[in-house]
Amino acid sequence: MSATTRVFFPGCSLPSYNPELVEKTLAFLKERLPGTGSILKCCGKPTKALGQMDLFQERYADVQQEIDRLEADEIIVACQSCYLTMKACSPNQKVTSLWTLMPEIGLPEGMTGIGADSDITFALHDSCPTRDESDIHDGVRWIMRELGYEIEELGHSRGLTRCCGFGGMVLPANPELAREIMERRAQEAKSDYMVTYCAACRMSMAIGGKKALHLLDLVFGGPWTSESTYPEVGANPIHAWGNRYRAKKSIKKILTTV
Amino acid sequence: MTEQTIRTMQELIDGCMGDAAPYCQAACPMHTDVRGYVNLIGEGRFGEAIALIREKLFLPATLGRICAHPCEDSCKRGEVGAPMAIAALKRFVADNYDDPAKWDTAIESEKPESVAIIGSGPAGAQAAFDLRRKGYQVTIIDRLPVVGGMLRVGIPAYRLPRDIIELEYSLLKAIGVQFRMNTHVGTDVTMEELAESYNAVIVAVGAHTGIMPPVPGHDANGVFDAVTLLRDVSMTERFDALGSRVLVVGGGNVAIDAARSVRRLDDRVVHLACLECNAGCMPAHDWEVDEALDEGVSMHQGWGIVSINTDRMNAVESVTLKRCISVFDAAGRFAPVYDDGERKTIAVDSVVFAIGQKVDGRGLDSLPRTARGHIAVDEVTLQIPGTSIFAAGDATGHSVIAVEAMAEGRKAARSVYRMFRNENMREDRDFERAYKTALETEISQNYVRTPRVTSRLRRASERVGDFAEVDLGIEDAQALAEGGRCLSCECRNCVKECLMLERYTDTCPKDLFQKILNGEEIDPVIPYSCNMCSMCTVLCPKNYRMQDVFMEMRKDLVAQTGGKSPMKGHKAIYMHQKLGFSKLFNITRAASPARVAPKKETVR
Repeated sequence: MSATTRVFFPGCSLPSYNPELVEKTLAFLKERLPGTGSILKCCGKPTKALGQMDLFQERYADVQQEIDRLEADEIIVACQSCYLTMKACSPNQKVTSLWTLMPEIGLPEGMTGIGADSDITFALHDSCPTRDESDIHDGVRWIMRELGYEIEELGHSRGLTRCCGFGGMVLPANPELAREIMERRAQEAKSDYMVTYCAACRMSMAIGGKKALHLLDLVFGGPWTSESTYPEVGANPIHAWGNRYRAKKSIKKILTTV
Repeated sequence: MTEQTIRTMQELIDGCMGDAAPYCQAACPMHTDVRGYVNLIGEGRFGEAIALIREKLFLPATLGRICAHPCEDSCKRGEVGAPMAIAALKRFVADNYDDPAKWDTAIESEKPESVAIIGSGPAGAQAAFDLRRKGYQVTIIDRLPVVGGMLRVGIPAYRLPRDIIELEYSLLKAIGVQFRMNTHVGTDVTMEELAESYNAVIVAVGAHTGIMPPVPGHDANGVFDAVTLLRDVSMTERFDALGSRVLVVGGGNVAIDAARSVRRLDDRVVHLACLECNAGCMPAHDWEVDEALDEGVSMHQGWGIVSINTDRMNAVESVTLKRCISVFDAAGRFAPVYDDGERKTIAVDSVVFAIGQKVDGRGLDSLPRTARGHIAVDEVTLQIPGTSIFAAGDATGHSVIAVEAMAEGRKAARSVYRMFRNENMREDRDFERAYKTALETEISQNYVRTPRVTSRLRRASERVGDFAEVDLGIEDAQALAEGGRCLSCECRNCVKECLMLERYTDTCPKDLFQKILNGEEIDPVIPYSCNMCSMCTVLCPKNYRMQDVFMEMRKDLVAQTGGKSPMKGHKAIYMHQKLGFSKLFNITRAASPARVAPKKETVR
């Protein structure tokens, strides 16, 4: 086994949404960046968002312990909440967003230009936690451009992006308000199709009435056209936990294949 | 809650501009809700607009005509085109949608204390109105046979028709203010008698004596002051002592009023000389100067008076003028500089000075006066120290325009009210006059520069023949369009963006945070409805971090609820987090060698 210099940390929402994307991403990283391990765990942001600070400290200590166990000095994240949380709580690791990494290591083989003939335009929703991270905004747009898809820039984008409505654990606390926020955001898009780079944002935009995809759906699938079948609003909890379990199996599979 | 959080909240409450008055309202000495009524007009809700105006002003048709409208000077529309025509809009709803039958004539319960108010001009009338509303026994005493003070005998009828004054002042009678007209203080009744028979006296006598400069010939036959001229013309539409060729001296509104009034007295030649070299520099409004020019007044701008030349009978024969180069010195003080080499002489038989007014002190000998002749009062309370006598309006030198005088009258009334109730006379009085609002908004240059409405005027040739009103006002469609130009200046950037703040605050976050600091119970759903997205902070001109406060509130709630969120819906999150950290759904794998040596590793 080679030394682990970095870990891919897929977080919660992506594995719950689509374990195949976790598998493909990890396999891709493994191919391009040997020395990539992986940790499937939550970063603890939801606990923190509720205000349970002691519990959060406890839980993040678990996360840190796993990172330290692998002696990784870089964490690759696919979720913007993980990005901020880990940046703040793991000062000894470099935290890298998958969206700034891809322009450096390139798209998966054969994906360049895949969307060039698509008949649809994706309205691009930026995640609000990383509104100040212009490198991430640029990286996401680089990916869309390389894939060849047309994008619609929303009135509120990049540093001025609007929350999808999911942030701050509002949906379980005040579902009616959260839905209103989701609908308002989704209605900003002229296109019926939206792309996000956070699985929770994707679900919010689907609740808001759009055909919504995660950026990794585009990176590892497609071409997406008006003829494609789009994912449902969101998996029910049992299905989501099933997905999470499948993601675990996938990680095990990818990182035992020698 | 931590000290830091409380400090953060307090800082936000102190600095948030969400409830700061718009520029127009702060510039109005009466703090009229300009933004409010202008927008109602823009929406076609004319009846509601006049009702809103009447909450602050009982003379809307009057002010809509003659107010010098400091609100328009401060209007931010001026930065993207011309300022809003606020006065014209006020006049429009007052003329067309005000129903005297709907005027609020209610007063609070009758009180025994009595107040004498000397002068029925805007200061005295406003003081009378406010004190009578509170139920006090108010009597206005006036030397003239007509109400309105300078509104009635200073401002010409062609700008402010007398029936408008009579109608709007009738509200004072309707609520029970008593009037003693044709009553001279000093002869008919003394100051001492008033002070003795009333519980309080407010002196609001205005400044009804014209100032005459000490130029050679100022005491000649045919030299007059504008105050006297305007008063006589207002009362009689005549001024027989005046000759046929008249020079008015002065560059302010009063000079223009005098010149235009004289033009209406038979067929007289009227000149106007002022130190200022153009209309933009004259204290009078540009449009007044234009209207005077249209009516045939000959302007001599940039000229100062050298002498009034007389014949053997000491009657005015001509006036010699010299070129004025500058009016103010570098420090902004009045210090005219002349070029003595450039002179001209105009053949006139009358001169009218309109260069300033002072208090007519007759009957007021017992009152303290300032060096400039104003009645000396306490700046904050308007009280003459040690007495139950107050003074307001032009008589104190605190006001020069009608709406300022009204604000001074209101201030004096408030002092009298507090004195009657043994309340603190000095506290909480910082915002009784025009002030600078805390509001700071950026005006986008992208606004379409729609034109400002202009009202219809009677033809100049027609209007010099009588004293009927010149300005015919604006019509419904014009008012709608003009109201629509308002930029509705306010901050509330966060509330306008955030659905949660919109739902859970009255005006802006500061009211919510104030409630919290006051110890009021706050529904836990409020802090748990914040998306923590920072958009409020991004849009806040002061970058306040509302989400940090909501986060601290959440921590507090968790501490109070035994480590858990008080929201029922969050039970799902406990499970989500428990599983998210459980062995069943966790895995940690070290790297394994890639099957194929990566081609692109060097890229990194």
